[in-house]
Amino acid sequence: MRRRGRLTSRLAWNAVGLAVTVVLVFPVYWMISTAFKSEDEVNGNPTWLPLHPTLDHFRDAIARPFFWDGIRNSVIVVSVTVALSLVLAFLAAIALAKFRFTGRKLFIVLVIGIQMLPAAGLIIPLYIVLARYGQVNSLTGLIVTYMTFVLPFSVWTLRGFLIGIPKELEEAAMVDGSSRLGAFVRILLPLVAPGLVATSVFAFITAWNEFIFAYVLLNDQSKQTATVWLSYFYGTSRHVDWGGLMAGSTLIAVPVVVFFLLVQRKIAFGLTAGAVKA
Amino acid sequence: MKRRKIASVGVLAAVVAAAASLAGATTAASDANTLTVWLQVDAQTGWADVVAAANRQFESSHPGWNVDVQYQTWGDHLGKFDATLAAGNVPDVIELGNTEMTKYMAAGAFADLTSAKSSFPNSGNWLAGLAASGSFNGKLYGVPYYAGSRVVTYRSDLYKRAGIAKLPTSLAAFIADAKKLAAKSGKRGFSPVYVAGTDWYIAMGFVYDRGGAIARFKNGKWVGALASKQAIAGLTAYKAFFNAASRASRTGDEARPQPYDVYAQGMAASIVGPAWFSCCVGAKYKAATKQFVMPSYIKGKAMPGFLGGSDLAVPGRTNAKQQAIDWIKALTSSTSQRALQAKGNIPNATSLLGNSVNERAAQRSWFIPTAKHWVDVENGNILRTMLARILTGKATIQQAASWASDNISFTLNRP
Amino acid sequence: MASSAVGIAPGSRRRRRRLTWSRVARGSTPYLLIAPVVVVTGAILGYPIYKLVTLSLQRYGLEELIQRKGTWIGLDNFSSVLQDPIFWHTLGRTAVFTIANVGLTMVIGTLLALLLVRVSRFVRILLTAGLVLVWSMPAVVAVQVWYWMTNFHNGVLNHLLTQARVGDFFQHDWYGSPLSQLSMATTLIVWAGIPFVVISVYAGLAQVPGELLEAAAIDGARPWRTFADVTFPILKPVLLILTSLSIIWDFSVFTQPFLLIGRSHIEAANYLMGIYLYTEAYANSDFGRGAAISLLMVLTVAGMSVFYVRQMLRIGDVR
Repeated sequence: MRRRGRLTSRLAWNAVGLAVTVVLVFPVYWMISTAFKSEDEVNGNPTWLPLHPTLDHFRDAIARPFFWDGIRNSVIVVSVTVALSLVLAFLAAIALAKFRFTGRKLFIVLVIGIQMLPAAGLIIPLYIVLARYGQVNSLTGLIVTYMTFVLPFSVWTLRGFLIGIPKELEEAAMVDGSSRLGAFVRILLPLVAPGLVATSVFAFITAWNEFIFAYVLLNDQSKQTATVWLSYFYGTSRHVDWGGLMAGSTLIAVPVVVFFLLVQRKIAFGLTAGAVKA
Repeated sequence: MKRRKIASVGVLAAVVAAAASLAGATTAASDANTLTVWLQVDAQTGWADVVAAANRQFESSHPGWNVDVQYQTWGDHLGKFDATLAAGNVPDVIELGNTEMTKYMAAGAFADLTSAKSSFPNSGNWLAGLAASGSFNGKLYGVPYYAGSRVVTYRSDLYKRAGIAKLPTSLAAFIADAKKLAAKSGKRGFSPVYVAGTDWYIAMGFVYDRGGAIARFKNGKWVGALASKQAIAGLTAYKAFFNAASRASRTGDEARPQPYDVYAQGMAASIVGPAWFSCCVGAKYKAATKQFVMPSYIKGKAMPGFLGGSDLAVPGRTNAKQQAIDWIKALTSSTSQRALQAKGNIPNATSLLGNSVNERAAQRSWFIPTAKHWVDVENGNILRTMLARILTGKATIQQAASWASDNISFTLNRP
Repeated sequence: MASSAVGIAPGSRRRRRRLTWSRVARGSTPYLLIAPVVVVTGAILGYPIYKLVTLSLQRYGLEELIQRKGTWIGLDNFSSVLQDPIFWHTLGRTAVFTIANVGLTMVIGTLLALLLVRVSRFVRILLTAGLVLVWSMPAVVAVQVWYWMTNFHNGVLNHLLTQARVGDFFQHDWYGSPLSQLSMATTLIVWAGIPFVVISVYAGLAQVPGELLEAAAIDGARPWRTFADVTFPILKPVLLILTSLSIIWDFSVFTQPFLLIGRSHIEAANYLMGIYLYTEAYANSDFGRGAAISLLMVLTVAGMSVFYVRQMLRIGDVR
């Protein structure tokens, strides 16, 4: 009886989940279906499904100069940014969550204060700084810039996840007789893994979609990132190739989804780990 | 163990930071032998071969030099230019839209090219509208690159069906033709001539047609001129034309929706805009699409069309001024200009003008007041608000024009 | 916490050294941990922040930018902004806008995260993949899709609403007034902001120990009670963080409302602070004014989020 009740309730939740997915994803569906529509359909009256689906827009997008360069540069910049930022932010978050030290409050205030600065005001001074270091038109300059945006909210978010771990679990592990590092790896890391994953996905997407700094800081089109490559579709003073733009955006979203699918298991893993006996 | 791990990560981070500062990509835009040129993306998609030819010509006459053309996008290129101005690593040549020039000329961003003027090809015959956008206080800062005007793109099949045997050569005839087209179509919301209500690029043409202007520079001050008799006559003519010919939104602009999309959806018999509109009229109507010059109220003349286009300027802080000038000469040579003309652009000199519809339309053109604060007028949507009020009847033409005129005077005369 | 040392070493002679060494290590460990972040951020943002402050006290337009020299005018930029009624109207409007956006994003996001826990694995992966797709759409593309869906000519929204007989929405203009313009911007921003909240809250839920939930269920607690007593306290830090971050981002949002409403329809009546900053400062190349407005924005956001930040600090202090 109880199992039957749980089954119907799960079915009901599944139905709700599917409905929510359809509504949420509809604009994305619109983007992807537009990418498959013929040119006339794109600019004509909207239709639910492409009547004469075509791969032309995808072909044109890939054929556009510097497509593969854009993808490659974005992958490099974003992977390094996320990897470095997450390591550094995690360390800083541990310091904030586990240690008392003077200057802790100040550091937190700075971390959250930096994020309140509107980016528009920072572009020109930041460009001057990087020019002084010789980092204009270089991927390392862009990586370091992205890190300064990603680090603050990563520190802030990871600190929250670390604090959220019930202290009893940590102490129980130490009563076990394991060293602090052992307790950390065996108990804490799996618990904070979902938080790390969520933060890394957010860092990935923020860096992947960032445009204005990539545009201003990079000169050579061979060094530009995918978002800058995409901007050439709509940056013209003439007719905008909407089909091409939608195809380009769809293609650019692929690495993000791939990255997420790779790491999403870690979130589920964390969910079951929470139920593991202490 | 943990300590070592932390220390090693800390060292790694320090190394990254140090490496970032040492690994130097050069920042100077003009290396000893590289000429950095910023052109807009339209050249990359439209006439990359013309640019390549100009590069080859420059490089062969300047051994040891190579040209690095970096294509920019219209939305953000000025922000990027500002950053390079602040840091000092400006490009050696930059393309700016003719409406973008004045602000930067007034601020002293560009090198003075007056002494080199006569050495630029066809400089004695530059199109008046373009040349005006490159000069400030009597000095030359920008070399005209190419231009574009406004024409009427129309469905010859619909015109024929409505019994329009000859294309209209006066505004009155055009309005009469529009009425014929409306009668023949009967579709709800169909525009004989689709013009967006607040499309000031077209509306101001009516004003300049009657001898009016947006603003005039008198006695060292800008004076808004929209409330003058001629301007009011022009605005009245525009309102009459709009009511007779266009079913577009009275408050909408010319980008949403794009006129050629309305045309492609079969909801317009003709549209007014740049000549390249013919690219995107849809496969169904492509064969029947032709163009003609928008007529003035004076029979036989063209209505002044907004002369769009770009100039090439040399930022003042460049280290390669002479080379920059030489490169500009290569891109604006008669050969290059003829190549641009073949791609549908209007060349920069009257001596090169041909007989295409686009070029005939450029015979009479108008341009915005070359004032430092004109961009503020545009950003403040003053003209658009005025047109919306006139077309919706929220204000009389006199009221709306006076309001706009006062606002424009105030904005342009800001220090 | 004070007793256990990091290293393990036998012997009493070593113990004395161990204590001093470990105390120094204990003292410096947190500083070593935060050092990389401080170094990177300081090296890159130190000068820009300094410059932002100094620019706000100068008249600094395009000419000054080119000559790389401004004129000191003290607090004139600030007083000019603070005396501008448009600034105050925009501030109020943005505050309301932020509250609406953050509220909707957090509520819907949390509900969806709770939903994620209850669905089967397949639907969960589908929904999270969908969320990531939503999350990954570039702003410019999302705005264009929104425009296609909601424009009055042939937008699918009007079509659907008319079909569903909610009313007659034939060629209804969703951008006719500042309120409707900002409402459409809200839908876009909330939609784009939900994925981060859902995935973070879901990750936070993963930290709730399963036994506690089972114990509550065995005790006969209803789902709402379980949520309030067991889940929420553990989730609190994450929720506080998400709320504070959402306040910060939604307050200064620029790209989506600016592009969605359209450059030619932006006016003082529908300014948001991000748009105000752009149109009143950067579009006119008035960098000094832009810096002053930026600093005022920081102050305002700090004020709006201080409650949540304080809470976060307090939670951290309990340890």
